[in-house]
Amino acid sequence: MEFGTIEREIYIEAAPEVVFEVVSSPDHLKQWWPDDARYELVPGSPGHIVFGDRDAGGTVVAFTVVEALPPRTFSFRWTHPTDEAAVQGNSLLVTFELTPSGGGTLLRMTEVGFREMGWAAAVLEHQYREHTTGWDFYLPRIAPYAATVRVRP
Amino acid sequence: MNAVDDDLWSAIGDPTRRRMLDLLLVDGGGTATSLGQQLPVTRQAVAKHLGVLDRVGLVRAAPAGREKRYLVDEAQLARAVAQLSVVGSAWDARLQRIKRIAETIRHNQQKQQN
Repeated sequence: MEFGTIEREIYIEAAPEVVFEVVSSPDHLKQWWPDDARYELVPGSPGHIVFGDRDAGGTVVAFTVVEALPPRTFSFRWTHPTDEAAVQGNSLLVTFELTPSGGGTLLRMTEVGFREMGWAAAVLEHQYREHTTGWDFYLPRIAPYAATVRVRP
Repeated sequence: MNAVDDDLWSAIGDPTRRRMLDLLLVDGGGTATSLGQQLPVTRQAVAKHLGVLDRVGLVRAAPAGREKRYLVDEAQLARAVAQLSVVGSAWDARLQRIKRIAETIRHNQQKQQN
């Protein structure tokens, strides 16, 4: 096991253009990761993501887009101090690479920087409460669905 | 940042030291000499690596004749490994959500076309 890098690959039955939108746009990011996301798809532009309620003890984490080349590559750095520019050594770098495959997309994700950042950063993200896990995520989705299910008389 | 944990991180980040931990686990312990015989590094280098592992609590030493005999501290090792797999499984969950969202969008687009 390489302790400095996380690598994952997943096949998605949707075109790269759709997958790129989902992994890169702040509105979609909020659906699969933090509770709020504020950034522009411009390399180097400073932004942030929020875990929890920003006005009630939530955690604001720096987030800077490194590369946005639709529909092939999206990368960003995060966890750097909010008053510093994101560079190697003060942040984790996440890269999404999209490859057309069949009728869908092969999505490859890598996260590097753990060795440089050290142990504390590696476990940091575990401490964020992701609203999209568990009942908080599923219950609001079950309700609208349930409303469409008709019970036969 | 916690200095002890950072040291634990870099101790386990080295491939030779991970190989040494594997050997110690398989053999149920060992000395610098016994490990040196199984690895392409000198006994002195092995002793140095053992010192690093000892300082972060991944191995424990007990006197054995003229040498020290080392055992893996399994609780500390489990702790180190668990932390990283937690980070990995967080990404597994995120990627599953990305997949579901993208495939739902595609499904809805197809329905509109029909």
